[in-house]
Amino acid sequence: MTRHHPDSLSLMEYSAGNLSEPHALCIRLHLDQCGHCRSRVDTLNSLGAVMMEQQPDVSVSDTSFEQLLARIEEAPDARAAQESPRLSPLQKLLGDDMNNLPWKRQLPDVSVVDITDKFPGQSERVILQKLAAGGKAPAHTHRGTETTIVLQGAFSDAKGVFNQWDFVVLTDKDVHKPVAIGHEDCITLSILSAPLKLTGPFGRLLNPFIR
Amino acid sequence: MTTLGQQPAKGEGRKDPWGALLEKVGRHQDKAAYHALFEHFAPQIKYYAISNGIASHAEELVQEVFVAIWRRSSLYDWRKAAASTWIFTIARNQRIDMLRKMQRRSGEMAIETEDLWQIPDDNDDDPVTSLHRLTSERRIRESLSQLPQEQVTVIAKVYMEHKSHQTVADELNLPLGTVKSRVRLALNKLKVILQDQNV
Repeated sequence: MTRHHPDSLSLMEYSAGNLSEPHALCIRLHLDQCGHCRSRVDTLNSLGAVMMEQQPDVSVSDTSFEQLLARIEEAPDARAAQESPRLSPLQKLLGDDMNNLPWKRQLPDVSVVDITDKFPGQSERVILQKLAAGGKAPAHTHRGTETTIVLQGAFSDAKGVFNQWDFVVLTDKDVHKPVAIGHEDCITLSILSAPLKLTGPFGRLLNPFIR
Repeated sequence: MTTLGQQPAKGEGRKDPWGALLEKVGRHQDKAAYHALFEHFAPQIKYYAISNGIASHAEELVQEVFVAIWRRSSLYDWRKAAASTWIFTIARNQRIDMLRKMQRRSGEMAIETEDLWQIPDDNDDDPVTSLHRLTSERRIRESLSQLPQEQVTVIAKVYMEHKSHQTVADELNLPLGTVKSRVRLALNKLKVILQDQNV
């Protein structure tokens, strides 16, 4: 059961189609598991439909409908019969087993994979972080905004407990010291708008990861 | 704006009239129904393309959206979404896909546009949820007419010009916080924020 949801403004940007691909992915992964937010997005999509309806109409070209008929008659069998079962976006992106990814250990309890290059043309950094079961990450803050979704396991910090598919946005005002709870390693997907900043004594050591 | 004379006859219970037409396309490949949908929605989609800054591809977007409508219409279920909401999401997805192809990024990506933006249908047939969905457009239309213009302007920029809240703030020369609070006020009235109390 997810308890931490994206805020309404982020869902609105999702519904309007204005988010970068990594951010859209985080929202989509959350929506897959959260009926409450799906229902909010349904309403926001209706808002989009009403906004579209309330704008001025622009006439289409006279031949537009004929062209359309020609196109659909060209490929009459291309109609979708049933939604075929698809791989989840996460499987497409990361394969079946997240444990097989090229994890790089940064600290005894913390491993990281940088997946930024899976999203060409983005300015944000996208990383997976793994905190070993029971492990602690050093206290750190963020220079920009960090958007995170929990993909596996759970962690807790001063703000509460974050379970699988929970959504959390941290800003430069949050000092964050997560601990993986439960029996599983905790894996999160995070989008960093700017590099992290360690607040503790490990700062200099960790530059490569949290630069 | 909608010409009332073009609207199909009401009277199919809670089914919205455009939804009834969409179902005819889905079930019987009814081209007259398809044409009526085209007459109503194509000009809206063309404006959507222009306001989104892809005027030179506006006709193309209309074509892509309507091909997608034809192909997906058999999946349309009036109990799950009003026709215009369903069509809005197709227009949005096709707009995103078109921009992606222009930037030639789609080939390099493991995930497709739909993986990010198409939410799988809910399989819950809870009548309360269905009713809530069906009435949400009507509620939104009513609440929207009560909102101050400054709130509607911000929402229109977000939806019709795909501008982030930050860009809207820059354009209107307002602090980001002001833009966000206008949106929050509007969403509050539209019951997006407190929706769970109303379902």
